Amino acid sequence: MPPLLRFMIRRFMVVPVSLFIITLVLYAGVMLTPPEARVSLYLPERMNPHLTEEQLKEFIETVIEKRHLRDPFPIQYYYWVRSLFDESWGYSASMNELVLPALLRRTPITLELALYSLLFLIPLGLISGVISGWRRNGVFDSIFRGAAFLGTSMPMFILALVLLSVFYLNLGWFAPERISLPYSIEFSNGSFNQFTGIVTIDALLNARPDVFLDAWKHLAMPVFTLSLYHWATLARVARATMIAERDKPYILAARARGISERTVVWRHAYFNMLTPSLTSMTLSATSIVTGVFVSEIIFNFNGVSNVIIKAMSGIPDAPAALGFAIYSVVMILLLMFILDVLQALLDPRVREGILNS
Amino acid sequence: MRRLHRYFFRWQNWVALFLVLVFIGVAVAAPNLSPDDPKNPGPFMQVGRATDLQVHPPSEEAILGTLPRGIDIYHALVWGSRDALQFGLIVTVSTALFGIFYGSLAGIISHRAGGLLMSIADAFIAFPPIAGVVFLQQLFAATITAMGGLYFKREGFGEVIDIVGPVTPIQALLETIDPLMFCLIVLSWMPYARLVHSIVLTLRDTEFVQAARALGGNSLWVIRKHLISNSFEPAMVLAARDVGGVVLFQATLTFIGIGGGSVWGVMLAQGRNWVIAPGGNLFTYWWVFLPPTLAVMIFGIAWNMLGDGLSDILNPTSQHEFYSKSF
Repeated sequence: MPPLLRFMIRRFMVVPVSLFIITLVLYAGVMLTPPEARVSLYLPERMNPHLTEEQLKEFIETVIEKRHLRDPFPIQYYYWVRSLFDESWGYSASMNELVLPALLRRTPITLELALYSLLFLIPLGLISGVISGWRRNGVFDSIFRGAAFLGTSMPMFILALVLLSVFYLNLGWFAPERISLPYSIEFSNGSFNQFTGIVTIDALLNARPDVFLDAWKHLAMPVFTLSLYHWATLARVARATMIAERDKPYILAARARGISERTVVWRHAYFNMLTPSLTSMTLSATSIVTGVFVSEIIFNFNGVSNVIIKAMSGIPDAPAALGFAIYSVVMILLLMFILDVLQALLDPRVREGILNS
Repeated sequence: MRRLHRYFFRWQNWVALFLVLVFIGVAVAAPNLSPDDPKNPGPFMQVGRATDLQVHPPSEEAILGTLPRGIDIYHALVWGSRDALQFGLIVTVSTALFGIFYGSLAGIISHRAGGLLMSIADAFIAFPPIAGVVFLQQLFAATITAMGGLYFKREGFGEVIDIVGPVTPIQALLETIDPLMFCLIVLSWMPYARLVHSIVLTLRDTEFVQAARALGGNSLWVIRKHLISNSFEPAMVLAARDVGGVVLFQATLTFIGIGGGSVWGVMLAQGRNWVIAPGGNLFTYWWVFLPPTLAVMIFGIAWNMLGDGLSDILNPTSQHEFYSKSF
């Protein structure tokens, strides 16, 4: 078996374990409520609105019986997890929709935002970190340190406010929301084929450059907002590691052999810098996903976070909140997995398990 | 003394200490800096008519201008810093204490059990606080409803949860708990646990701990006397940075309307129509936007820089670059 595959399998084993622990804790939280409240996780999509109080009580009692809601924790937990696999995670009153389909339907929008942000910030963070660390205290380094300080100290929602005020309201270059109104009408009446749900890719598949441009007009601000903070964090780690690598003997040896400066940086120091940087990235995966949700909410994307916005709007909606929690944990675990695999792909020491990531 | 000397070697550390002291000073002296309205105490004091939905620039009666409904910005700013400091310190101190305890426990017990504890901690890292807050609030709502109470949120300046009708002790308790604070305490102790765990593992087999064991000290005593005291200082660096991070997070969630009662967040949320709604402008209505923004940003920067300074004292070779923030 190739080492990379072995690494991937070993690494993937962590996902169900973490998921098990977290669902255990989540359901322990649910257990704190009385059984009558827990019923709301299992209520059907269409309730007969003409039930009398007596009949409603009777119905709730049958659900409690059927779902073992008065049994001890392990039994209840078992039946709940089984229902997660078999069913659609309950009915959300605030969305008037089943939770799992609602989450999955909104996934491409969130995925698009997260994907572009990561594609934007990882290369940029690594490159700027390397350059400024290599020429420490140079012109680029001074500019970089200022930008990184601003990036780490600027709260995301304040940056979003400034961007919206300047670029949307006063200049009109970019806009919030996912897509402009004429296109969203086109989306809903079916004249635009939605192959993947990811608008920029669909636009290319449909050969519609105007939709592509419009999608980017709406993506630019959230992607920038999301990237700035994480770009700064990543680049700072990259810079610090680069400064530490610069003085190591192997660099001196490479120079003594007459290797050009560019090769020394990008083939020798660079690959040693990757592992610590990507590890810091993995550790902030939770922060990245939270950031995706926050910028979605501020920029009014109709993404996954829409579920919690609706759940918080007044009608008690435990299934949506619980479903969202599980969904976001799965998303974070997958992101961590992908980042770790990326690290193993780039660094043979991680792949072989010599260096603990 | 040498440590203090090292702290004051960099000008950034002077600035950090000054800013943090200013925030503490403002928080302590809030009643003197901006006396409360006796009829309607709280961070949001009305200086104009409640029906007035316009914002007004700085004037005689409101030094920094007003938000819609005649809310005095200066008053909210001052009392908001007390609020933020309180929130940040409570969350950070409780998380740090729990994390230190958990990490040292995992380090001192058998290798296998310790590994299990740490894998639980690692699992928690993948749980986003934003989902936790929503989940917890829904749990509270479901419990209150199931116990026969009617539950609704009163919108306005700082959302308040109200229960209609007679209130049982449990309902009253649920009403007083701040879900965000609870959530952050439950979900941000892992970095401390990991840090302390690694320190304890390296210290466990050193001579002085062995000697303490040989003297007949039991595990708890060894943990408290030797292991915790040695991991306290690195944890402090983490904690100083966290105070700022926690308050920023609270303001963010309040701003987007997910919960939490950050005064600065509410100010920005209330004033945002003058910045991002049609006709709004960042520069025309600067007094709506600038004071809370600067307060939030400077608060975060100050505590971050204080953390850098502390790591200067404790670990002079560090590069100030390894920020760790759990959310």
